[in-house]
Formats: sequence, structure tokens, C-alpha cells
Amino acid sequence: MTGSNISRRGLMQGATALVAATTAASPAISFEREGNRKVLVFSGGQPVPILDPHVRYDWSTRMMQQATHDALFKYVGNPPELVPWLAESHQISADGLTYTFRIVGNARFHNGDPLDAEAVRFSFERGLRINKGVAWMFKDFVKPENIRAVDARTVEFKLERAFAPFMSYLPWWYIVNPKQVMANQQDGDWGQKWLTDHEAGSGPFKVRRWDAQSIMHLEAVADYWKGWPMGADKRLAGVIYRVVREPAPRKAALQRREVDVITELTPDDFDQLKTIPGVRLEDHPGMTSFGIKFNCQRQPTADRNLRKAIAHAFDYEALLQIHNGAARLQTSPFPHAVRGHIDVPGVPRRDMDKAREFLRQSGTPNGGIELEYVHVQGLEDPRRIGLALLNSLQPLNIRVRITGQPWPTMVQRGSKPDTAPDMTSVYVTPLSTDPDTVAYQYHRASWGLYYGMSHYQNEEVWRLVDQARAETNWDRRAAMYAEVQRKIVDDQPEIFGMMANRRWAMRDYVKDFRFSPVRFTGEVDLYTMWIDA
Amino acid sequence: MLVYIAKRVALFGLMLFGLVCITFIISNIAPADPAALAAGPDASRSQIEQVRREYGLDRPLPEQFARYVAGLARGDLGRSVSTSRDVTSELLRYFPASLELVLVAMLLGIAIGVPLGMISALHKDGWIDHATRIFAVSGIALPPFWFGLLLQLVFAVQMGWLPTSGRLSLMTIPPEPITGMLLADSLLRGQWSTFAEAASFTVLPAVVLSLPCLASILRVNRAEMVEALRADYVMCARAHGVAPWRIVAVHALRNAMLPTLAIIGLRYGWMMSGTVLVETVFDWPGIGLYAVNSAIASDFKPVMGVTLLIGLNFMIANLVVDLLYGVLDPRLREA
Repeated sequence: MTGSNISRRGLMQGATALVAATTAASPAISFEREGNRKVLVFSGGQPVPILDPHVRYDWSTRMMQQATHDALFKYVGNPPELVPWLAESHQISADGLTYTFRIVGNARFHNGDPLDAEAVRFSFERGLRINKGVAWMFKDFVKPENIRAVDARTVEFKLERAFAPFMSYLPWWYIVNPKQVMANQQDGDWGQKWLTDHEAGSGPFKVRRWDAQSIMHLEAVADYWKGWPMGADKRLAGVIYRVVREPAPRKAALQRREVDVITELTPDDFDQLKTIPGVRLEDHPGMTSFGIKFNCQRQPTADRNLRKAIAHAFDYEALLQIHNGAARLQTSPFPHAVRGHIDVPGVPRRDMDKAREFLRQSGTPNGGIELEYVHVQGLEDPRRIGLALLNSLQPLNIRVRITGQPWPTMVQRGSKPDTAPDMTSVYVTPLSTDPDTVAYQYHRASWGLYYGMSHYQNEEVWRLVDQARAETNWDRRAAMYAEVQRKIVDDQPEIFGMMANRRWAMRDYVKDFRFSPVRFTGEVDLYTMWIDA
Repeated sequence: MLVYIAKRVALFGLMLFGLVCITFIISNIAPADPAALAAGPDASRSQIEQVRREYGLDRPLPEQFARYVAGLARGDLGRSVSTSRDVTSELLRYFPASLELVLVAMLLGIAIGVPLGMISALHKDGWIDHATRIFAVSGIALPPFWFGLLLQLVFAVQMGWLPTSGRLSLMTIPPEPITGMLLADSLLRGQWSTFAEAASFTVLPAVVLSLPCLASILRVNRAEMVEALRADYVMCARAHGVAPWRIVAVHALRNAMLPTLAIIGLRYGWMMSGTVLVETVFDWPGIGLYAVNSAIASDFKPVMGVTLLIGLNFMIANLVVDLLYGVLDPRLREA
């Protein structure tokens, strides 16, 4: 008996050891190395078809543009701060029309050419003339001929009219090397074809290998003019952006340590990764707002009281539940990270008494109507939010017809008041922290654009928005924007929804990830990151 | 024979033109605005119009179609709106990867399917036959997308034996392209370790892609073998005392191979289109992944290009099968 017991125990121990051995052996791969330095591998689902910083931007594209280029300023931290980068100092004339920047003296492009005022001027001219990507930010305010390289280190912009948000967009205007770009020009294309998969920047990384669909390998610039924040000895050898289209293999690659950082996770994957040792999760309140836009020009939603009724009947808790709690409700049309944001008193929360009261004052006091709710086909969250809306409006005797449509169709419909749906769910990511970026979405000029689908009309708001973007004094601007926020909430052109968290999962040896909400959903600043192991 | 081939090729031309018409119509019925998508969400109207002009999307549809067909005649498949690159050169770049995957999967399918079919036929209604039947039915029924994810979980994450996705390790520099197929190139260049690595990356996607092919080859081959083994000439051969292995491997198999060959040809085409799913799961940078990425951006030129390329592959495979029929069956040669 004893003998058999011992042998059974021995067997159990052996089995345990075997299991331990196989599990220990399974994460066979560790981070990539090159010499004695490490290579950080980042993975998301979106390719980078065009690297050219003046042609296109989205989260993955801009992450690579930021890594390979510099701009006059850079957004850093949370709340985002505008930090001088290529610009050493700047001056704004009293009338807000002339901006003068002094360029740092030691910045160099990757091929060794010095980065001077002419390169800055050229890059802005190129962006404006190509008229793609970032051009919309400035094209109504700056003419290419009014940008001047005063001397080797001074560049001057003369604006057509005062535009207070000017500086807040500068971080997205990356500087390229004019000599290299023009040497590769084909048929007067400003080097567009060449810059599709090449770069001519001065950033902390340069391109080593570029396959836009699968692997993009960047190599750290050893003597980067701005230096390395973690110290030259700890800096990475490079960064690889690996495209893994589907979330499940992406998560598997992180578990297997084939990659060090992943983004674009499903809420369930995120929760599962919480239990995996060696994985750290980053979960931060974002700046992308989700709202349900009413069509303010066509009945029945042209009726402010009906809109108010719906906004008070809506179940805001459902928004949080759908995101497993990883979201924050809006307290104003402006996301929290936008300058000048206020918590608007009386922003609607669920209150059925108020909802019924507003409905009684509306043109349809007993409900009995059907409203269309349109969301982007294939997106699960907005569809579920539609279901929550459907449930919320049942007590008011309002039916909701949920329609999923492809994004381009939805935008096409929203471009005119006659065709815009009664309610459309839209995500909007502001491009800067300046309040104008959000406020202008409620301006007449934004009618028909995807964020202007509500065709909101309030001349007083439009006047204030116009005034505020031309005002140079911040305190006066802030007061105007507070007024704008209150008035928009009062008019209820949309159900002010929530901002979902931005999420990444990374191995715990990845250091100095710095979140900044002004970057896009999956975008990170690769410059500060390194591997400690 | 030459006349026969010429006739077939002419027929291809017609079929390809039909395919061009259909894909063109479908992609233009789809309610999407590729110019707006390419210009980005914040683009102003003038920016969108500029993209539309640049890519000729502002022209009337008949004119766009005429231009597209004229381009095709020169081997120009147009330019992608989302990547601004020529579709032809992109396809040339991505096609070898898909072809490599399909060929490996095909080899797997034949190398396992044909013998298994033979064995099943020899043990008709025995346990081996039942086992392969279950295997074949599930092989056809398993959704490749799901099956791929499952294999990844088991062999990459749990066991850690094979890589999850991709074509090579991130730090491995691929061999100078000769064929564009990594397995072939690394062999031709004598880079053995690269070959082993590329092979390890090919295993999972090739298995997933080959399963339906393997299953149908197995079933068809089995049925034909059963049929052939019952035939008079087999009985005659037996009566003449021909060695049993020779009866099976030479006499019966040769006859059973004809329909099997047809299935192989068809399956080649199916596998080409199957790359869309498999490449997405395994991030295999081939035409399937290229098509998916383009379709998401409502970028129709690449999608049309991939469709045409797959159609062309179908046709070529069928032609090759027809010619091989002649080799295997002397009666057809004279006809």
C-alpha cells in the first residue's frame, strides 16, 4: 500500500513538473534584439498605406509620422500641453495676424542636412498646395505666399484673418526635407509618390524597412538632435509596427511575447488580459466623443421639445455598461480634455418626469411616432446603444428603427437636411485641444460634414464661435466658449453621450508609455518608450 | 491540339471580359464614396473633389469603364485610391506570397488526400473508411476563420511550437526575391535556416487552407477508386495474376485520378479565393489580405484587380486540367 502511494505521489509530482515545464516553455520568445539594444514591437490592426505627412492621417499613420518627423510644437502629457519642439520661441503680433517662430539651431534631417527656416516654409507650402490631409486646418487662413523664411532660423506666417487656434494645429504639420523631396519629384507631384513609403524627416526614428501591409521597421536615430529622454544607453535600437488584422491573433501574439504592445482590443479581450502575468494594461479616458445627432432641420426632430424629451428619457447608464464601465459621460458638448470645458449645469440625465413634460410641450404630445436611428454598419457598440435608445423611448410611445449603413452612405445621407436621418450616432475625435475644434462643429460652415449632420441652427452660437476664433485674449475666449457650451446644451442638437477609454496592453518590461488624449485612438508616442529587462 | 488550346484561350478572353463587367458594375453599385474615404474624415468638399478628379472618379461611368478596359489591355489595373499605388505592381508584389501558400496547401492536399482516399477505398466500410469520412466531412464543414484561430491558440499560444502569424520572424531579412516565394527563394539562395523558419510560419495557414481541398480530394478519390476496383479490367488483371500493388497503384489509380484531377483544378481556384479568410487570420501578406484591406477602405480598383487575378487563376487551372486529361486518358487525345 505504502509503495503504491509513494509511486502515485511520484507520478503526480512528475506530471506537475511536466505541466510546469511545458507552460514555462511556452512563451519561448522574448523581445527582439539588435546587438545589445532592444527593439520594441507594437501591433495594431490598421496598416499605414501612405506615410506622407501632408497627405493623410489616421491613428496608425500619424504614429509613424510622429516617430519619423518633427513639428514646430508637440503635444505632450495629460492634459495635453503644447511643448516647443523645432520652434525654440515664438511671437504673436498684437492683432493676432503675424506669427514668428525661431527654429532651433541643431536640428538635422536624417540625411544630415540642417533643418532650417526654409524647410519649415517649404513644408507648409507643400501641405497647402497638395490640399490633402492636414490642409483643411489652415487653408482658409494662410496663403502659401505669405509664409516667409526671414533668415536661416526665423520663419514668419501672415494670416488672412485672426485665427486663435492656429498654434494648436501646428503639432500636426510635420517638417520634411525640401531638397530630398524635390529631388524625388515626379510630374510636379511635390514628391507625393516617393513619400508614400519613404520619409524625409528629422524625427527620432528613420525608416529601415517598409511593408505597409505587414511590417514597418523603424531604426532609432543614434544622435537625434533632441536627445533621448531615457538616456542614450537605454534607448531602443528601433521599433517595429506589425500589422495584425484580427484582435484574437493580436492578443495571442502578446501572450506569446511576439509583440510588446497591442492596441485595438475588444472589451472582453481586455478583461481576459487582466489575469495574464507579465502584462500591464493602460486604460485612459479618451477625447473621442460619442453622440447621437438629431436632424434639427426636419420634423419631427426639428422640435426642440421632442429632442429634450428624448435626451431626458435616454438611459445614460447603458452607455457605461456597454463599455464595461470604461467610459465617461459627457457633461458638455466639449470633451473634458478640451481647453475651456465646463460642466454645463442641467446637462440631461435620465428623468422620465422631465421627459414626459417636454413631450407634452412638443408637437407630438402623445408620441406615436417612429424615428430612424442610423449607425455605422458592423460596429457593435453603436448598434447596442441603439437598442438602449429603443428601450428608453418605449415609455414615451416613440418607436425606434435601427439601421446599419456603411460609413460613406451614412455621411452621404447626412450631408443634406432632407436626407439626414432623424438620429445618427457619430464618434468625433477633436484634432486639437483648442475649443474651436469642437465649437466649430456646431457652426453653419460644418453643415453636411459628418460631425455637422445635425444641421444645428442658432445664429447667436455661430456669431460667438466666429468671434471666439478671432479673439486673442484667452479669458475673453473662455467666457465665450462657456456661453457656447450652455447654449448648445440648451438647444439639444444631439444626445451628448460619452467618451470611451483608450486602451493598450503591453508587457510589463515596456517603460515610459506616456498617454496624451489628443492623440488618436491607438496612437502612442514611441519616442519616450523603452524596454527594461 | 493547338487549335483546341487557342479556342480555350479565346474563350478565356470572353470570360475575363464578362468578369470585368460584373466586378465593375458591382463595385460601382456599392453605395460608397472612395474619394471621401481617402480624403479623410475632416476633409473639406474641395479636398474630396480634388481626390475625385485626381483618380478620374468624377468622370461618367461609361467613360471610367472604357478607361479601365483600355488600361487592362496594357496590363494596367488602375491606381488604388487609399494607397495611391498602382494595383498591378501591388499585385505582383503580393501574389507570390498567396501562390506559395496555395501551392503548399495543394501539395498537402494531394499528398495526404490521394493515399487516404486509396486506403479508404481498399478498406471500404471498414473503420479506416469511417474515420476518413468523419475527417473529410468535418474538413469541409469547419469554417477556416474559426479553425485558424483555434490552431493559433493551441499550437502557438498553448504549446508554443509554432509562430502565431506572419511570414518570417520580424528581425529576419527575407532572401533577395527570385520568385517572391520565400520557401523557394531561400532554397535557391541556399539559406537553410531562413527556409526552416519560413516553413514553420507556413504550417498553420497551409493546413487551414488545405483542409477543405484535402477533404474533397479524399472523398472523390475514394469514390472513384471504389468504382475502378470493381471494374472489369481490374478483375481481368487479377485473373492474369498482376501484382496487387500494381493493380491498385497503376491500373485503378490512373483511372480514378481523372475526376480527382478535375477537383484539384477547381480546388486550386477555390483556395486562391480562400486566401482572403486565411490570410486575414494569419496576417499573410498576400492578395487576400490586400483585398480585405482595400475593401475596408471602399477602394475598388484593388478589389477588382484581385477578383480578376483569382478568376484568371481559375481559368488557367482549368486549362491545365484539361490538358492533363489528355495525358492521362489517351482516348481524349485523339478526340
